[in-house]
Amino acid sequence: MDDELIVCRCEEVTAGEIRRAIRDGARDLSAVKRRTRAGMGLCQGRTCESLVVRLLCKELGLRAGDVAPASPRPPVVPVPFGAIGDPDEADH
Amino acid sequence: MTEFDVAVIGAGPAGLAASIEAARRGCRVLLMDSNLRPGGQLVKQIHKFFGSKEHRAGTRGIDIAVGLHREALEAGVVFWPDTSVYGVFPGGALGAVRGMLGGEPRGVVVRASTLILATGASENAVNFPGWTLPGVMGAGAAQTMINVERVLPGRKVLMVGSGNVGLIVSYQLMQAGADVEAVVEALPRVGGYGVHAAKISRAGVPILTSHTVLRAFGETEITGAEIARIDESWTPVPGTSRRVDADLICIAAGLRPYARLAMLAGCRMTYSSALGGWLPLHDRAMRTSVPGVYVAGDVGGVEEASTALEEGRIAGISASERLGMIGAADAARDREEAEARLSSLRMGPFGRPRYDAKEAIYEEGANACPRP
Amino acid sequence: MPSTLTTFGYPSLDELRSSPGYPARERAEKGPVAVIECVQEIPCNPCETACPRGAIRVGIPITNLPALDADKCTGCGVCIPKCPGLAIFALDMTYSATEAALSFPHEYLPLPRPGDVVVAVDRGGKAVCASRVLRVSDRPANDRTAVVTIAIPKEHADRVRGIARRSEGNDIG
Repeated sequence: MDDELIVCRCEEVTAGEIRRAIRDGARDLSAVKRRTRAGMGLCQGRTCESLVVRLLCKELGLRAGDVAPASPRPPVVPVPFGAIGDPDEADH
Repeated sequence: MTEFDVAVIGAGPAGLAASIEAARRGCRVLLMDSNLRPGGQLVKQIHKFFGSKEHRAGTRGIDIAVGLHREALEAGVVFWPDTSVYGVFPGGALGAVRGMLGGEPRGVVVRASTLILATGASENAVNFPGWTLPGVMGAGAAQTMINVERVLPGRKVLMVGSGNVGLIVSYQLMQAGADVEAVVEALPRVGGYGVHAAKISRAGVPILTSHTVLRAFGETEITGAEIARIDESWTPVPGTSRRVDADLICIAAGLRPYARLAMLAGCRMTYSSALGGWLPLHDRAMRTSVPGVYVAGDVGGVEEASTALEEGRIAGISASERLGMIGAADAARDREEAEARLSSLRMGPFGRPRYDAKEAIYEEGANACPRP
Repeated sequence: MPSTLTTFGYPSLDELRSSPGYPARERAEKGPVAVIECVQEIPCNPCETACPRGAIRVGIPITNLPALDADKCTGCGVCIPKCPGLAIFALDMTYSATEAALSFPHEYLPLPRPGDVVVAVDRGGKAVCASRVLRVSDRPANDRTAVVTIAIPKEHADRVRGIARRSEGNDIG
């Protein structure tokens, strides 16, 4: 993967930026995400997660099973904020 | 707030089968799916399925979906289409938004004492220079376009990956009127079933094993790709690269379990490369490490529609047992029948590695997944 | 284990001849017979119940390769559209003095019509010879898998397994 190659389409993060984050100390998906925003976009890493894992493995000499999956946060799918929660319970 | 005995997320073969089994045993079942039609990936499978009579072998996937939907309604399952579950909250409440695809999106909170996660799998990406250009898409996306939306996304196709998805979608793109220029496969062997490969070979599609795509050409959309032979260390062999004209590059690089809701529910995760990656640990009865939370189908390890169906049946039986609708002995007997069929699907050169991987998961899960 | 099938995507004659679904040459010379080109142990058995004469046996486990009992087989072709893998053909080496009749599953539109002259292709899709369409069966029981029968010179009977797909005029839109 060349450094200028896009890894996270949603946030336009390149392989070089992710490599730099790893060299700066990122050791897992969450750490890469916090440093680069890779996986923070609309698809929440659904596309780029396996590509970031590949970079982590290559840079750190890990196997795919050594890289824990990123911790999800709700909403895990894109929904309008106004529709989150239950309108019937709004007063409670 | 809406209350049910069982909430099932995902109306593919696993979720439908789980719903049917639970509802037939007296549970009040809510089945939710983000799509408008139930069936999951079945709705775009226009080919005839393998398996045996119990799996409706020889029937086209779309027709299996229609049949399962009918059975679910007859069993009393409440089906909510166009419902996106965005979170699982402490205490088991589900946050969902209905109407994302049609009408006004509105939130709803669902409470159910038992949760069956049948959320399926995601397509793996492959990146190469040009992969973000219009004209590069997942093979599953292309299949949705031709078979559900009836839009032909390209006329000259390069397929990347020769697993069953790559082979089947290549065939169906030709049925839809496109030409498939080649299928490239990085491994030295065809990944999917030989009969699927033979179908597209007869149509003149070269399947190039030990080959990869190096880059996509094009400014505003793709016009072609550079492919090359690779050696055992996946390094391109000098002098073997060549250009393939294409207006569509489909990526069929495998699937991995879509387990985000399972993680939010607190399910312990485990890793299996034979089953696609990280998945919620589960036992033979499809119980996870969280009491009252079950998994079925690809979310618990990527396999096939027929295995998803049987796992769904097992999860539905287990949920009924937990809710006291059937006794432990009846539940065990009913599960055994489905387990026997599952084992027969996990034989042969393609099934055996999945059998071994699943048995390892069950063994690990036997101690970690509490019985009711 | 590498094979022609796993390397190139279609089985070689050797792979087929050593499988239990491929009829012996001597049997084929006597009259119509099914040709089952299923050489991988996958979980699938609709062919077994498709045959009204019990000439195809898969048994238990369902990953067994289908075995053809060529003495019971009449080459009727009922099994052809029932195979989800489109891997069953029927061959009649007695069709005429010089020609064999080959039946195969076909799922591309538009369907050819009887009398059409079409390009017969081999397992790798290479053009082999011109052929004449004899019959096209698209009965409801076939569930949208047409069975096309073509006449081909006898010497190509082991090679030809389909006809060239028409890439023009068959768009869905």
